Amino acid sequence: MDFLLQNVLTGLSIGSILLLIALGLAIIYGSMGVINMAHGEFVMLGAYGTWALNAFFGMGLLSSLVVVFFGVGLLGWLVERGVIQFLYRRPLDTILATWGIGVMLQQIVRLTVGGELRYVEMPHALTGTISILGTEISSYRVFVFVFVVALFLLTWYLMNRTRFGMQLRAVVQNSEMSACFGIDPKRIYGLTFAYGAGLAGLAGALVAPLKSVSPEMGTSYVIDAFFVVVLGGVQSIFGTVASAFLLGEATGTLGFLWNDTIAKALVLVGIIVLIRFRPQGLFVSKVRG
Amino acid sequence: MFDSSAHANPTRNRNRLQLALYLAFCVAIFAVPLFIDDDFLLNRYARYLVLGMVAMALSLSWGYAGILNLGQALSFGLGSYAMAMTLKLKTVPIHTGPDGLPDFMVWNNVETLPWFWVPYQSTAFAIFAGVAVPWALAAILGWFMFRGRITGVFVAIITLAILVVANLLVIDQQRYTGGFNGITDLAQLEILGLEFDAYSKSTYFLVASCLSVCLLGALAITRSKAGLIFQAIRDQEERVRFFGYDVAAYKIMAMSISAAIAGLAGMLYTVVMEFASPTFMDVPLSLSIVIWCAVGGRQSLLGATIGAIVVAGMQGALSESETFLDTWMLVMGLIFVLVVLFLPNGLAGLLDMAGRRLMRRPGALAGGPAPAKGLSGQKAKDQT
Amino acid sequence: MTEHLHIEGLGVEFNGFKAVNDLNLSVAQGELRCLIGPNGAGKTTTLDLICGKTRPMHGSIRYRGREIARLPEFQIARAGIGRKFQVPSVFRQLTVRENLEVAHCKHISVYTNILRSGRSAESDGLEKLAAFVDLSDYFEAPASVLSHGQTQWLEIALLLAQDSELILLDEPAAGMTHQETQKTADICNRLKGKHTIIVVEHDMGFVRQIAQVVSVMHQGTLLMEGTVEEISRDQRVREVYLGSTLGI
Ligand SMILES: Nc1ncnc2c1ncn2[C@@H]1O[C@H](COP(=O)(O)OP(=O)(O)O)[C@@H](O)[C@H]1O
Ligand SMILES: [Mg+2]
Repeated sequence: MDFLLQNVLTGLSIGSILLLIALGLAIIYGSMGVINMAHGEFVMLGAYGTWALNAFFGMGLLSSLVVVFFGVGLLGWLVERGVIQFLYRRPLDTILATWGIGVMLQQIVRLTVGGELRYVEMPHALTGTISILGTEISSYRVFVFVFVVALFLLTWYLMNRTRFGMQLRAVVQNSEMSACFGIDPKRIYGLTFAYGAGLAGLAGALVAPLKSVSPEMGTSYVIDAFFVVVLGGVQSIFGTVASAFLLGEATGTLGFLWNDTIAKALVLVGIIVLIRFRPQGLFVSKVRG
Repeated sequence: MFDSSAHANPTRNRNRLQLALYLAFCVAIFAVPLFIDDDFLLNRYARYLVLGMVAMALSLSWGYAGILNLGQALSFGLGSYAMAMTLKLKTVPIHTGPDGLPDFMVWNNVETLPWFWVPYQSTAFAIFAGVAVPWALAAILGWFMFRGRITGVFVAIITLAILVVANLLVIDQQRYTGGFNGITDLAQLEILGLEFDAYSKSTYFLVASCLSVCLLGALAITRSKAGLIFQAIRDQEERVRFFGYDVAAYKIMAMSISAAIAGLAGMLYTVVMEFASPTFMDVPLSLSIVIWCAVGGRQSLLGATIGAIVVAGMQGALSESETFLDTWMLVMGLIFVLVVLFLPNGLAGLLDMAGRRLMRRPGALAGGPAPAKGLSGQKAKDQT
Repeated sequence: MTEHLHIEGLGVEFNGFKAVNDLNLSVAQGELRCLIGPNGAGKTTTLDLICGKTRPMHGSIRYRGREIARLPEFQIARAGIGRKFQVPSVFRQLTVRENLEVAHCKHISVYTNILRSGRSAESDGLEKLAAFVDLSDYFEAPASVLSHGQTQWLEIALLLAQDSELILLDEPAAGMTHQETQKTADICNRLKGKHTIIVVEHDMGFVRQIAQVVSVMHQGTLLMEGTVEEISRDQRVREVYLGSTLGI
């Protein structure tokens, strides 16, 4: 019983990190159809930003979140305005261009900060553990979980209940029409991309204390995140949540049965098979042909 | 009305010119050892030729059939490991444990040779497997994806994910694969009594011959009817289906031929480098292959080949210094982004455009208005 | 005249919306049939159903007596049905000759085609086809340079190269200048009798020039059938088109 609970909690923790990383990608891919291969590098920059704010200005993790969000968001905006806006009709080329941008970001970090591993400390208040139904779990992981849920609700609100969200949906449906109604598609796309990038930055800041920070840490995130999004159903942000936790649980359980590598391999293969037979995603029922 | 032969001529001339360029390239790479008598340099050049070969393979599937296989390094790595496995089993006992077990297996307490290693005691089998395994894997993956009508970005991401999985597994299964270190301390390849020392003319010629044969073979494929249909699929997949072609079969064919060539290149890479390593089947290498192909020109086999040789060659020249290499990768990333944005057909496309403009000038071609319009139209389209 | 295509009770729904509903249609060998109707009447969807792009949910499509309603697209194509799409779709990076070469699909297996030259011995025939749609001057030019009208004609030539007996044309004159429309009508008229043709069209002027029998669709079903005069006199057809710019 204990085992089981432990497993479920591990799964939830993995799932919350997956969701954190996937959320930004889900917004960018879901609304703009762009697979941002530099997403992992945005995550990496978020982690380095947190590290740098701490190392040079003595800022704690929590206070640096705001700076990181806006910093990486600004970078995302620049990337969208500078490169991606020219490629909306060439989806395969966006993959390539953003991949190239990812390489550049990695190299810039390597050349300026260096390639060695960096470590970010958890906030002191969160270093302990919390006991849930008799099972000990790190309070930082609980914090991440709660933070992600909050962030998700905020995003949902932004997309569905605000003027910005409405404009975004209008632009996604028909950008020329919405331009006629005085919505500037460029502004909306730029801001959306910036928001997605900002979320990736937050993800980097939050995973930094859990993993070592290195220039190449982002590489594998983008694949994981992409699959979370696709499995959930591209247009469905709730699907993203469900699939993040599903994959978290699957990875946790398989990792417990064998090892982490095999778990990861099995999960990836499983997702590919699922995509083959349900390309519209697991949690979407209708699709227009 | 113009006489029809007047129109056939420009195309026919273009085709002849293209063939001449390809042949000249083959002659040139064979002539290199005449001028360079440095085994160390020849080994390096052989390496670049191998990389050119794998980029050329990608051009066939990506540039011609529109299948962006981001896992091209997987086929390359599978070929490389196939060759390394047989060469490992051929080493004298000093590098293998008792009972002919490879040394790393002994260190990892493996007791008997695993079943999937056994056939590699035959070099002939290994050479067959180095091509056949990537071919079969690509065919299966292609069948899986294309029969399910998975296209575009999904193909790119799925192939990338498969590469990641394979790389993770190879590193994880250290007992059978040598893990991070790969398979090192290999014997020399020997075929029919011919020895291929990595630092020798014979290896260079082996590589040059394989590249020439594959390049010309691939050119022939692109000029076949199937090659035409590959390009049609790249332009308008749906339309091809309504002509009655089995599109999936064509895509599977393009992808598996490409994988087989990449597998062969991988085998040669092991011979040239004298080891196999998980970095021969990892994401950065796959990215590099895509970059070479894009910079050289994805829609030109020769362009992709030369792109790889030049870019990898420059990188090799800079690799002495670590910071240089990092700066180089930064510059490469930038060039790649610029090429994708402004030069979708790479340097070959640029040359092609310049060439057409030159050909048009003297008295214009017999085709009159058509080719002239053709150029401006082409340009306008390239820029959109 | 023998019956070439016979559609009975054909229907398909998209999310509960009946795009085509209990449609009956019968076309004779060598006939040129015009299919008209207001926007959203289900004309394109009907062609999609015939050529296999969309799977029907009800009903049957018999082509030369053979049921084809649930065959995969490529088998329907091989049975002799060719389709021009509403959005022009030619292979823009290939030359006109290469486009025709691809369409000329006697051999379809990838294994034989990889051994065959991309420049077939029947190049002459292909040139005649190009001449038929007045594209001789562009035979070796990439299709990307063709004008909108020329692209549409190339598409028609592709269907001829494919050697389809039943040709489905979706709005072949859309977006054309007056002269181009004339020329398209001319091409259609020259094909009459040799091929069975179904033309979906909005432009009544164009329909007048080519039509034998016209079928009018409305809300997924057949409203009426008759000559141009008959349908333009019909009260129901007028109501359906009321407020539209068709000028019947
Ligand atoms: N794949 C689809 N999914 C949902 N609705 C569709 C689809 N295809 C067509 N429709 C709907 O079916 C109706 C008929 O469309 P169509 O056949 O294109 O009409 P038209 O007669 O103008 O060619 C339209 O209302 C259209 O919106
Ligand atoms: Mg229509």
